[in-house]
Amino acid sequence: MKKRFIPLLAALCVLTVVGSAFAHFMVVYTPEIALSQGGDLDMRIVFTHPAEAGHTMDMGGVEEFYVMKQRGDAEARKVDLMQYVKEITWKNPESSNKAFSAMIPKKEVRSMGDYVFVMKPGYYFEEEEGVYMQQIAKLILNVGGVPGNWADPVGLPCEIVPLIKPYGLWTGNVFKAQVLSEGKPVAGAEVEVEYMSHMPDVKTNSMPAKSSVEYPQDSFITQTIFTDADGYITFGIPKAGWWGFAALGVGPDKEYKGKELSQDAVIWVKAEDMK
Amino acid sequence: MKKTMTALTLAAVLAFSGHAFAHSPLMSCFDNGDNTVTCEGGFSDGSSASGVKIHVLDASGKSLVETKMNEDSEVTFDKPAGDYKVVFDGGEGHSVEINGADIVE
Repeated sequence: MKKRFIPLLAALCVLTVVGSAFAHFMVVYTPEIALSQGGDLDMRIVFTHPAEAGHTMDMGGVEEFYVMKQRGDAEARKVDLMQYVKEITWKNPESSNKAFSAMIPKKEVRSMGDYVFVMKPGYYFEEEEGVYMQQIAKLILNVGGVPGNWADPVGLPCEIVPLIKPYGLWTGNVFKAQVLSEGKPVAGAEVEVEYMSHMPDVKTNSMPAKSSVEYPQDSFITQTIFTDADGYITFGIPKAGWWGFAALGVGPDKEYKGKELSQDAVIWVKAEDMK
Repeated sequence: MKKTMTALTLAAVLAFSGHAFAHSPLMSCFDNGDNTVTCEGGFSDGSSASGVKIHVLDASGKSLVETKMNEDSEVTFDKPAGDYKVVFDGGEGHSVEINGADIVE
């Protein structure tokens, strides 16, 4: 009787470990990124597992949060947004932790053009693996349909630079982007892809327990792709909604406080169904 | 000769329609709250609206302000007292009109 339990327990342990190895994703979120006109922008910054409404982690604070704005061929302009960052508690069904909100006033999001939001968090210590993580995230928004700097590198330590407008995607489009580390393409980088199957609720600062996707097996929760020899990724988008891409360990910093550091580049894009 | 003409016409149509689709005019106006209005222009392909003519008309269609988008594709003018509309005059097929009533802070 007891002997039969041991393999079961072992299996459970393995499952637990495997489960926790799924993608940690820095989420920088606002409900819409293709706006007809400017207005107040309600944003959230959460370090979680968006495909499972899973474990939510302490990102170690926000080091930098700013936007690079550009319309047409004018110069891009940097606006610091740290003054709008407020600490909140993000509650997922089984896990809650510190996260951040930012209400960006209309005066900063009034003009037509592109808004490349950049969020550099502090450091998260992943105890099980004994490594630090820092996911530098971008979210690109457009007002009014006049494009700007969406395809320009910001000049981050590491970043994912889209080659297709990240706020104007149809379901079925191919998302193409280049992974850069200190401005140079990274060949063979591992990029994790997750679908936001539990939509963030900005009223309650939570993700619902119910998933909008049935995953047949764990491989489908976090998809893995690699950059090609020139640092490009291509990914066909199968479903409307939010898709996150995280290029792992591509940043130049490899160590923090004497421990291994994974400095990752994240971007979120949104696809719409053709109706 | 006829064949060439057809080909040329087709090329012209293609060139024109391609242009029209890839390059639609866009304008957005705000009430600055200090009795001035700022309008920003641009094109959907990202090209500049610098130098594009802007007309501000009253309810009867009378011209109140004649100006041009500046080098940042923007223009600011005194807010008219009554009903008005702003016309972005980018040439045929490239105009946008915004009603004063829709221009808010």
